[in-house]
Amino acid sequence: MELFLIDNFDSFTYNLAHLLSNVLKCNPRVVSYSEFRGEHLNGCEAVVISPGPGKPCEYPKYEILRDCDRPILGICLGMQILNELYDGSTDVLDDCVHGKTDEIEMEGRKFTVARYHSLFVSKVASNFQVVSQNRQGIPMAIRHINKPIVGFQFHPESFMTSEGQYFIDYAFNCFKKISV
Amino acid sequence: MPLTVSKKSAFEIFNKASLLAAEKNGADLYLSAPGFPASGKSYLTLEPDKEYLVTEQTTRDDLTNFAFADDKPTFGYLTYNYGKLINGLKLKNSTSFPLGHLKKYRIVIEYDPESQSVDFNSTEAGNLWYDLTEKIALADKPENRIELSDISVSVSREEYIEKVRRTINYIREGYIYQLNLSIKYDVHLIDSGAYAVFAQLWQNYPAPFYAYLKSDKYQILSTSPERFLAVKDGRVLSQPIKGTLAFSQYYPEMKKILTDSPKESAELSMIIDMVRNDISRNCRVRSVEVSRHKSVFTVDELLQMYSDIKGQLAEKATVIDLLIDAFPGASITGCPKLKAMELIDEIEPHERDVYCGSFFIIKDHKNMESSVAIRTGYYNIRDNRLSFFAGSGIVADSKPEAEYSETMAKAEKFINLGRL
Repeated sequence: MELFLIDNFDSFTYNLAHLLSNVLKCNPRVVSYSEFRGEHLNGCEAVVISPGPGKPCEYPKYEILRDCDRPILGICLGMQILNELYDGSTDVLDDCVHGKTDEIEMEGRKFTVARYHSLFVSKVASNFQVVSQNRQGIPMAIRHINKPIVGFQFHPESFMTSEGQYFIDYAFNCFKKISV
Repeated sequence: MPLTVSKKSAFEIFNKASLLAAEKNGADLYLSAPGFPASGKSYLTLEPDKEYLVTEQTTRDDLTNFAFADDKPTFGYLTYNYGKLINGLKLKNSTSFPLGHLKKYRIVIEYDPESQSVDFNSTEAGNLWYDLTEKIALADKPENRIELSDISVSVSREEYIEKVRRTINYIREGYIYQLNLSIKYDVHLIDSGAYAVFAQLWQNYPAPFYAYLKSDKYQILSTSPERFLAVKDGRVLSQPIKGTLAFSQYYPEMKKILTDSPKESAELSMIIDMVRNDISRNCRVRSVEVSRHKSVFTVDELLQMYSDIKGQLAEKATVIDLLIDAFPGASITGCPKLKAMELIDEIEPHERDVYCGSFFIIKDHKNMESSVAIRTGYYNIRDNRLSFFAGSGIVADSKPEAEYSETMAKAEKFINLGRL
């Protein structure tokens, strides 16, 4: 599989690259946001948007993903970017959470996940559904209802997330179901 | 040719010989005090026969070519400033401090704490050793009175508190999770040089990563407790320190106070994820793991928390690839690294120079030891001024006054030099 990982000047990108490589048995091609071009999408089978500093609006190049039919996974900032590509919005958390764990439920199972974020998805885009939210109602996992797009607010690649592989499997299983 | 000396005193003799060689022969020292989780070998080195001064043009290939040109070990350092350049930032002030310095010495005397033996790289080194051991018996107890004057700081208490608030705003706005903020201190040394300072610190504040070396017009003194990257036959170990508790009297419950603190734990966890990232670039998939999470040790009257991050160096990667791609260390920048470094540049008025860089001993492609150059300073031989630095990690729930106290506690061993 030709997998394309866009690095938003983040410090967890290679953790994500190793996790993807471990689960999907392929080495993602890591390209920094500053070098990212539309042509990169031509040959690839799936795109992963890394976490990173700042707000979605500071990353205007992702506009081109709106019309892209490739499966896309966004982590943290990546999820917020995907949500804003449609009609969702992002806001500042009252109490930011950095380097701490939270308990969430997905597909009827409980997971411990690592959170690193000051911003959150305050309005979920209308064609997205919330797959998981935490006790305070903050969206932790979202997906597009009829496109292969999945986002995680937490960090599956962190050492504090108990079953990081599960979330990568989850996303890529969604992609398979939707593209069939 | 290893020489085993009386076990009890082996380190003591090496220690005295090293100080004497630094004082009388101009030796460079890389010393590791025993009794710490990261304690290791110590080196007394003399007469570099090959040197490489790092410049703005220096590339990874230049460092690689110098280090691996022959079988001799490479000793030296890279500065935080060099770390800025390789991460796309500019140097703000015209700093005259070298960007880094690599040396291969003609004379290397190595102390191995495991076998408690001393090893020489040549007959000449052996002769020097015998000469030094004879002299230490006769040497007078060094007169170490140090007087400091004209202490100045790059950031006053009021400014520091404002800078912490500014940092917390950047954190709340989502630009960073953590930022390591530092203060630079400058003092004038009256009637004593760098050697007296080094000897006094080494004797009173033992730590596993001391370094004393001459570089251009500077005598550098590093008294770091922190390992950056150790590589043994391709097995990588990093031990970032985050989470500090200062004390004047130790009591056992303090350890739990530190490890149970959500703030200190989060600080460490962030840096662990960063170090995993930083070494993953040159480690095999599935090899990177965290162990001994939230271990604690004591240094400089501070409890310090750390964890082990291990990995297996990828086949094509060398220790220099690992060092450069992870440089500067995660624990002294903040997270994410690039944004944190940009903001440090904006918030701190001083250049860090060698502080927060790294000292290293590179043996070959797959073997290296290195430190994070915290608790580090330098003495300008031309104007008798000693500069040193201290800092702490700022996170969302940091209290500005508490961070200031932590920074001062870390600088204390330098500030107190004149009082011992």
